[in-house]
Amino acid sequence: MDDYSIGVLTNIGLFSFLALSAYLLLIAGEMSFGQQAFFGVGAYTGGMLTAVFGVPLPLAALAAMVSGALAAVLVGFPTLRLRGLYFAMATLAAAEMARILFELLRFQRQIGGELVGPDGTQGFRGIRWVFERGVEPLEYMALIYALLVAVLVLFLWVERSRLGTTLRSIGADPELAASLGIDVNRLKLGVAATAGALAALGGVLFAHHNTYIEPRNFDIMLGVHSLAYALIGGLGTALGPLLGVVLDLGALEGSRWFGSARMIVFGGLVAVLLVFRPRGLLDERAVHWIRSRAFRKS
Amino acid sequence: MKHLATAMLALAASTAAAQGTRAELDCTFTGKDHVYDCVVHLARDGAPLAGVQLSIGADMPSMPMAHNIKPVKAQPGKKPGEYEARLDLEMAGEWAVKLRLSGPVRDQLVLHYEFDEKGARPSVRRSGTPPRK
Repeated sequence: MDDYSIGVLTNIGLFSFLALSAYLLLIAGEMSFGQQAFFGVGAYTGGMLTAVFGVPLPLAALAAMVSGALAAVLVGFPTLRLRGLYFAMATLAAAEMARILFELLRFQRQIGGELVGPDGTQGFRGIRWVFERGVEPLEYMALIYALLVAVLVLFLWVERSRLGTTLRSIGADPELAASLGIDVNRLKLGVAATAGALAALGGVLFAHHNTYIEPRNFDIMLGVHSLAYALIGGLGTALGPLLGVVLDLGALEGSRWFGSARMIVFGGLVAVLLVFRPRGLLDERAVHWIRSRAFRKS
Repeated sequence: MKHLATAMLALAASTAAAQGTRAELDCTFTGKDHVYDCVVHLARDGAPLAGVQLSIGADMPSMPMAHNIKPVKAQPGKKPGEYEARLDLEMAGEWAVKLRLSGPVRDQLVLHYEFDEKGARPSVRRSGTPPRK
């Protein structure tokens, strides 16, 4: 496999964590424009732990996920009382606050003759834990996809469980769900924390793939794209957001059919889909149809 | 599966490569949309760094992972420590140019440059200074 294909596939894998994070909130009925903040929290936490404090990556990734979940609870606790557009705006504002905090974050140590650590707007160089251990891009891509498959299996299992049905019920009609005895606010807070942890996992993998991060990496464009991927791919199954990422990064960007007009095509695709298939290509009806056909054949 | 196992083994190891490679970029606009002829100047411990294999990629800091520029292999330039490559970017603006060195020296560097029709120059951040290389 050439460097370019590995790069495209790695980016698809990394973006998928963020798209799945947005998807999880969407099926619970909340549209977050702020998942990039938790991606950033994961990237900074994981990066600092490995590059500045020499913590092994697996432990740093776990710590990053915990910090992403805590940050999501911190944001979710006040904002999940809001509904619809107000929640979306609040998450966007929180994400921008996080980005500005990253700009103010300065914590550097002299390591091997180099200053390593976050340096505000100058970014954070030297996140070389993976690189210094000789992990080749193809091997790192395999690691990303192994983690992604594990996450997907968990998602697909949850979706078939009672918890999955409960999540979709609070997304469809929170009042009705509450009247059936479901603690909607607590469940949504749990969903927000899980989505935050998932985005943070993507962030820590991104930081170690890139070896460099900066606050601008985590601005609104990243959040909008992750949300768009979930909406394009569809909300009927966890495979939907992945389809969204593959369509944009794989087909539109990877193929170079549209060149620099790709963003226009992508924006148009989002607009058309929101009109004709508001819950995406793999929406609940499509998934039901596919499942019924598959079961009929077997 | 083999690649995953290798990655897991490598992550368990604890060797570390030394840092200290410095790079600068000198690019001229070719006249064709977003295509630049670039010379990379590599140095290590103050001396030109020759004889390495250099692969150059690029990403946009404001939209990470969304622009996959095909990495190009740089050719040795006219002087020691110089490497030449043609970069075909998708648009003007700030790009994080990723240099991946292999061969006698294994390293990875990220340089931030602003590309437009005048060529390329180091990006200036809000604090007013170009980022460290």
